Amino acid sequence: MDLSVWPDWPLRLGALFHVGLALVLTAVAGEACRRAGLPRVSGYAAAGLLLGPLLLGWFDASALVTYRGVLDLCLVLLLFELGIRLDLRWFGANPWVLATSLAEIAFSFLLTFFALWAIGSGTVLALAIAAVAVGTSPIVVMRVATEQRASGQLTDRLLALCALNVAASVILLKLLVGGLHGTHGGGLVALLHPLYLLVGSIIAGVLIAAAYAALRKIVDPASEQGLVAIVALMLVATAVLTSLRLPVVLAPLIGGALIKWFDPRPHLWPTQFGSVGGILVIVAFMLAGSMSSMGQIAAGAALAGVAILARGLGKLAGVLTFGTRSGLDRRKSIALGVALMPLSVLALLQVEDVRLLYPEFGERLQPVVLGMTLVLGLLGAIGTRWALVYSREARTGDTP
Amino acid sequence: MTLEAFAPSRALSIGVELELQLVSTHDYDLVPVAEDLLRALSGTELPGEVKPEMTCSMIELSTGICEDHDMVRAQLESLRDALAAAARKLNIGICGGGTHAFQDWGERRIFDGPRFHYLSDLYGYLAKQFTVFGQHVHIGCPGPDIALYLLHGLSRYIPHLIALSASSPFVQGRDTGFESARLNSVFAFPLSGRAPFVETWSEFERYFGKMTDTGVVSSMKDFYWDIRPKPEYGTIEIRVMDTPLTVQRAAAVAAYIQTLARYLMIERPFRLAEDDYLVYTFNRFQACRFGYAGVYVHPETHDHIPIGDEIAASFERIEQHAIELGTDAVLAQLLSDVRGGRNDARWLRERHASGAPLAEVVMAQCARWTQGGEM
Repeated sequence: MDLSVWPDWPLRLGALFHVGLALVLTAVAGEACRRAGLPRVSGYAAAGLLLGPLLLGWFDASALVTYRGVLDLCLVLLLFELGIRLDLRWFGANPWVLATSLAEIAFSFLLTFFALWAIGSGTVLALAIAAVAVGTSPIVVMRVATEQRASGQLTDRLLALCALNVAASVILLKLLVGGLHGTHGGGLVALLHPLYLLVGSIIAGVLIAAAYAALRKIVDPASEQGLVAIVALMLVATAVLTSLRLPVVLAPLIGGALIKWFDPRPHLWPTQFGSVGGILVIVAFMLAGSMSSMGQIAAGAALAGVAILARGLGKLAGVLTFGTRSGLDRRKSIALGVALMPLSVLALLQVEDVRLLYPEFGERLQPVVLGMTLVLGLLGAIGTRWALVYSREARTGDTP
Repeated sequence: MTLEAFAPSRALSIGVELELQLVSTHDYDLVPVAEDLLRALSGTELPGEVKPEMTCSMIELSTGICEDHDMVRAQLESLRDALAAAARKLNIGICGGGTHAFQDWGERRIFDGPRFHYLSDLYGYLAKQFTVFGQHVHIGCPGPDIALYLLHGLSRYIPHLIALSASSPFVQGRDTGFESARLNSVFAFPLSGRAPFVETWSEFERYFGKMTDTGVVSSMKDFYWDIRPKPEYGTIEIRVMDTPLTVQRAAAVAAYIQTLARYLMIERPFRLAEDDYLVYTFNRFQACRFGYAGVYVHPETHDHIPIGDEIAASFERIEQHAIELGTDAVLAQLLSDVRGGRNDARWLRERHASGAPLAEVVMAQCARWTQGGEM
């Protein structure tokens, strides 16, 4: 009687069960936040960071690598959409918007670096943390903007500045890793690798834009069929980028911006990836959370605290420097600075990538970024939402 | 509160106001940027004025007091160019058209100002639904009684003006079948429609006094009539037109009104009668619904003829006055449009019919507004 028709006892529940359970709990946490008057994303972030390690903690690292594809797809989809909202013509018509972005990037990088360096973190670690600190979480910003149905000057600038600082953050960290190649003996690699990443991303971006343009001639992106086609295209892009070992972030961003540049028509798909986006975001937080353990956070708490403060000051100072010249009033400029605070999944992934190459250095970097993410993933989303409501750009329900 | 005295103004001087749509260049939906746009414009020398309107996705521009068509057109063009420059800095689109093709009225936000909040509290959702965009034309009158003659005389030409300016076929993402669906939003207001049939200013003051005694109104602003006197300017204000898609057409419609006004003031071609208004709402509906193809019932003879034919006939009646005012060339252009059945509503429908989604139609509207071009 060795027919395996009866369940084993104890039940052997596969990984799917744990992933599913974690997903349900994350979704519930998001809903709880909504009822408490907080952005759903805060709930996802909290649940992801807490439940991830708890429920998925016993997977070995190799299992997580396979889930990385889901995370990457999520980022590719979001950054492609963000890229399409990055209207390069705007910078020509109003260079002060670009100046605001550059100032915000420069100030948050420099202030974070000097603050950490001053308290003796070591130069390389300070540089790496500062590079990560430059970026604003595209997931949080776009989810909150979508949830609030926000539109207006602050929203447009928030998304444009987010796109640019994410690109800057990724490039800065890659350059730094290039420098690490140098100190670890590969002089030529130190030069060629960042070059490969940049040129490769640009070429991949052009290809994504061309493929999208060809697809759009056949299917309407606003139809269900079109949405499927776009998601499929991004899936292909994710696979190709991963196999080429290119950062998944830059190419879709470049591709999206190129599309808007060459074809200024509105590029819209149903409810901005609506439910697909929602589920992917939940998965992203959960998986990102599972890569890290809470125990590490204490180790980096002090550095994380200093970095959060310095980064916040840098972003505020950056947007205030040119904000009024670019056409925002002071009130909205401050709101824009606050809206740029979120830091989340992308930051964790950036660190994970460094850790895969340089485990020792990664072990020092991770706790600090994890601490920053915990604070800025939760509070940052609340700040972004406050900024959108305060500047009266939210369109949910009865606006004030 | 008593009605202020009618300040006489130069006969046939004109002023034009246009309410405009502010849209995002990402999705071409309305976007609340009126405050940012006004800030971007502050410090710019303008021939007229730019003001906020009821909701934050609208803006109103107005010319100064103009002599003739050329002056109106020049002022509108420079206002348009100043607005377009500011809009580029904010990366937003500006366009004409009586309605936004697919906006959701529930998402509109009331502009932060005491009068707008008062109106919003009073009218509730009607205030947000009032996110429609019209052209208003003021005609200067030397005295109040002639102003009232002009008001009632021009009432016969309301269908003409609606058909010529109609540019609001789409509402809330659907083709309404109307040429001007915008006016349907205006009719919802309790004090909309036509002015009472009184022929002298003293009678009008009595009417106004009775209305204020009822507590229903406190100033002329509370009347949403198609044509209303504006005593402090010494003008009558014609308010039935949709904002056209180009300033050229807006100026041409103003020129038509000015020429009609000269004809009415100088020739006094007919005796006014209360019964003229028997056909008023029917004619107005026909014009909103069918444009040039609608039926015009003549108030005296009760003949039924197509509105387009009646417009063409009116051009003949006023030809001499057009030559005097120098509006004959621009009226000839309007006439060829009438003959060809062309107006802005048709232009919009043609864009949509050729396969462009409504968001792309709005994008084309923005380009048409900014670049000008033929009417």
